[in-house]
Amino acid sequence: MLEYQIFFDYFPMILLGFWLTLKIVVCAIALGIPLGLILALGRRSNFILISFFATSFIELFRNTPFIIQVFLFYYVLPFYGLRLSAEYVGILALAAFGSAYFAEIIRGGIDAIPKGQLESARAIGMTDWQSMKNIILPQTVSIVLPPLTNQTLTLIKESAILSTITVHELTMTGLMVQGETFRPFEVFIMVALLYWALNETIASIMRRIEKRYSRNRKQNKIVRSNIDIIKSSGFSR
Amino acid sequence: MKPKFLEVIDINKKFENINALKNVSLNVSKGEVICIIGPSGCGKSTLLRTVNWLTPPDSGKVILKGEIIGSATGKLTFEQNRSLNEFRARIGMVFQQFNVWPHLNALENVVRAQIVVRKRMRDEAEKKAIKILNEVGLKDKIDEWPDNLSGGQKQRLAIARSLAMDPILMLLDEPTSALDPELIGEVLSVLRNLVNEGMTMLIVTHELGFASKFGDKIVFMDAGEIIESGPPNTILKSPKTERLKLFLEKLSLTSL
Repeated sequence: MLEYQIFFDYFPMILLGFWLTLKIVVCAIALGIPLGLILALGRRSNFILISFFATSFIELFRNTPFIIQVFLFYYVLPFYGLRLSAEYVGILALAAFGSAYFAEIIRGGIDAIPKGQLESARAIGMTDWQSMKNIILPQTVSIVLPPLTNQTLTLIKESAILSTITVHELTMTGLMVQGETFRPFEVFIMVALLYWALNETIASIMRRIEKRYSRNRKQNKIVRSNIDIIKSSGFSR
Repeated sequence: MKPKFLEVIDINKKFENINALKNVSLNVSKGEVICIIGPSGCGKSTLLRTVNWLTPPDSGKVILKGEIIGSATGKLTFEQNRSLNEFRARIGMVFQQFNVWPHLNALENVVRAQIVVRKRMRDEAEKKAIKILNEVGLKDKIDEWPDNLSGGQKQRLAIARSLAMDPILMLLDEPTSALDPELIGEVLSVLRNLVNEGMTMLIVTHELGFASKFGDKIVFMDAGEIIESGPPNTILKSPKTERLKLFLEKLSLTSL
């Protein structure tokens, strides 16, 4: 039988763990997506050193278990004089792990844009970066949003692994409450529901954003005086 | 001696095992319209793309108004890359597949590079874009998305995008080949206006009618080489080489 009292007694504590999970994940994504973009651009750089570094980074973090990466960050960094709290280590590890996947998603998006788009931008005199910023990347947004969302949800779930390095996030809190109450079912139901609620919320927000970007379009603001010129030349908006 | 306008000197380019260009040289005077014809795969598009270094050749030089756009082998230095971008801004390029930017509306397609490359103020860039879009007959499409334009309109938009950069040379790579027959005319008439304004142009084309009427010179290429070149009348009416004869025969067959 369920012991309902557990829900009332321990929900505030579990919620505290959830709050930390939320903070860690938001920081990791805020770091990971820009880093992923840099890695994706780095990978296709003409400078061999940069592309080698970016490729190595991506392949390293894509092809090793996340839990091992976490251990490496947590136990090895202090040897090099970098003593960070478990929370910060967790954020760094999650961001690094996520960025490798984000980078590959963004690279896929860039590759999906027809070659002529970059050529026409370069032919008109834009630098490689100007072409990326003005022509290629805006067109990739609608392509990469769905897989980016997917990866974000994965990242949130992977954050549970941070409990192994004593980060008092949602899973860790659950484990502690379970040890106190010996009621695993009630406790982990709460934990699972909170993960679910977070992911469902993010997924539905992203669905809405995807819809907005699905056509890749945004009307640019036209200088006011020029609107009059357009109108007077026989064109109505 | 007055420097030539555009000199293409001894260009060689290999793709895998295919010799795309073999010692191709070409001189273009200011205001000249040169039409490049030849069977598909003969290297005419590659030649056009080497002029603005979009396809860097294996060897050779391209010189515009006495200044080297790109030369010889290997990678360009940082400085050369910078000046290359400045050259490209002055050399308009029009592609067979239009390559208009689908995420920007018609006006912004013409405005963006002016702001990014030419560093014009938005207000000025828009005024210029509106003027040019009017000239190419797209004034009622200013707000339209490229997806909603016909092929001919897209190509005219692409031409407008190039013209907004005040080019001194236009490279056109089969500008009408991807168009439905009834849309070719509207693009050709825009090109005709450019010819009349004295624009220097290199056009890869299959439109022999246009070439003979407006081209100052026709260059016939085959298998990576320039086989014959000269004024349209001599080239089209009395071809000297067997290959050109054969090519012209095939063309006249398809137009039946």
